[in-house]
Amino acid sequence: MVLEATMICIDNSEWMRNGDYAPSRFQAQADAVNLICGAKTQSNPENTVGVLTMAGKGVRVLVTPTSDLGKILACMHGLEIGGEMNLAAGIQVAQLALKHRQNKKQQQRIIVFAGSPVMHDKKALEVIGKKLKKNSVALDIVNFGEDDEGKTEKLEALLAAVNNNDTSHIVHVPAGPNALSDVLISTPIFTGDGEGGSGFAASAAAAAAGGVSGFEFGVDPNLDPELALALRVSMEEERARQEAAAKKAAEEASEQDATMTEHASEGPSGADNKKNEIPDDDNTLLQQALAMSVDEPASTQDLQDTEMSDAAAEDPDLALALQLSVQESTKDSSSEADMSKLLADQSFVSSILASLPGVDPNDPSVKEMLASMQNQSESQQKQDEDKAPEKKEEKEEKEEK
Amino acid sequence: MATAESASAIQRNQVDLLDFIDWSGVECLNQSSGHLLANALKQGYREDEGLNLESDADEQLLIYIPFTQVVKLHSIVVKGSEEEGPKTVKLFTNRQHMGFSNVNDFPPSDTVVLSPDNLKGKPVVVKYVKFQNVRSLTIFIEDNQSGSEITKVQKIALYGSTVETTDMKGLKKIEEH
Repeated sequence: MVLEATMICIDNSEWMRNGDYAPSRFQAQADAVNLICGAKTQSNPENTVGVLTMAGKGVRVLVTPTSDLGKILACMHGLEIGGEMNLAAGIQVAQLALKHRQNKKQQQRIIVFAGSPVMHDKKALEVIGKKLKKNSVALDIVNFGEDDEGKTEKLEALLAAVNNNDTSHIVHVPAGPNALSDVLISTPIFTGDGEGGSGFAASAAAAAAGGVSGFEFGVDPNLDPELALALRVSMEEERARQEAAAKKAAEEASEQDATMTEHASEGPSGADNKKNEIPDDDNTLLQQALAMSVDEPASTQDLQDTEMSDAAAEDPDLALALQLSVQESTKDSSSEADMSKLLADQSFVSSILASLPGVDPNDPSVKEMLASMQNQSESQQKQDEDKAPEKKEEKEEKEEK
Repeated sequence: MATAESASAIQRNQVDLLDFIDWSGVECLNQSSGHLLANALKQGYREDEGLNLESDADEQLLIYIPFTQVVKLHSIVVKGSEEEGPKTVKLFTNRQHMGFSNVNDFPPSDTVVLSPDNLKGKPVVVKYVKFQNVRSLTIFIEDNQSGSEITKVQKIALYGSTVETTDMKGLKKIEEH
């Protein structure tokens, strides 16, 4: 949680139009900058971040160091690409901006995105580096984009001149499938020196690792502890309810209307799939299910049939409940049969397919598929009529569907 | 004669201001990581000849020392080696967060050029009028005796008195080295 004032130097030169970093170098850079700003402001609320551009008409400070993340993100809009990057001037202006920071207790840091070739020679960069070290300013360099002769060497020399006790870092990011931000997340630029932004970095890395993260429910407990807790609680409540519902279905199978149990088990499975409800108790849910079954018997059933098949594949308790409800309800099986009959009706299906663009109903592969579907639906009807709980096969059938 | 008087003045009512330094605010720019300001300022470390404050990127050093109360500064002692010890030392009072870029923006309260005698431990008396009301002291070491890349300082000691009270118990006889 180092108290830090950071100046980010953005390269908005013509070289940033290149698309070797998806979607373009400039966009990848902007994403990385947004991520860094967020990490810095989150690791310590008193941290300040400022942004300047190095190319264009000249070095221009977009926002002086501030802790207002909204202001920083807003200034990134409408940036134009053009000109050539002036690294030395950029770093010097950044140093000046840091010198006039309001809170003198903050450590000074400059983060440079060096995407275009470096015009200055090594000596000049080393002098700049020494000056930064003398004024105890740390420097992080992100070397990406163009890789001409000597650029890496010059940046390494600059880093060596600045570096004081490993407070400064350099990261080389080659073009490739990984986004610039993703590569940076694992570097010391994000993680600070040891701890610091590691909480944010870990959660950002998890989110970046593609949608469903390592965390339960896809929500990071660090980012949103209340939501994560609520989701966990509702998940456990649903599990308990499903078991209770399964027991109830077994007990009251002959007495109650089977659609009720189907709806009751639908309620939890719906919540299970969507994970957005925190139901109060069994009774109110059952009441709701009753009301639902009275009001809209047909349409809701069809919808829930498909949902049921999905849910059944996942949860054995639920599958048992579904099995029983399927057996007991003639209405239910008939509606299912209706659906499968519809599907089996080849003329109906072919008329649908004909309406789809690019599908020729006379195409042999389509015909094959229709035939297989027909077979499947027929076998399913047979099983329904058997009324013997053959859990595994039917589960497989539904999974195949 | 003046020096004899000032030497006796040291013995009479001047105190080592080490006790009044606000350590939380002490800063030093351009110090080398293995050789910090504490080596030159703190009791014990400063007596050790092997422990020096050394400069890093170039030969200049900027030291900021705030005090816990207002003091009057009478004299300072700067000890170092003959070649790499400091030569020109500028003192600024009551200026916070100075940087190397603005040391030349305003005149120092006093400028001291250290002789080899001083580097052995002879105190340098500062201008009386300028140091009557000192909340913080900034010491700018501009160059060293031989002009080498690194300046080494073995000891920095400040002598003076406090403004509010003259603590009779704190009076010590200061030996000259």
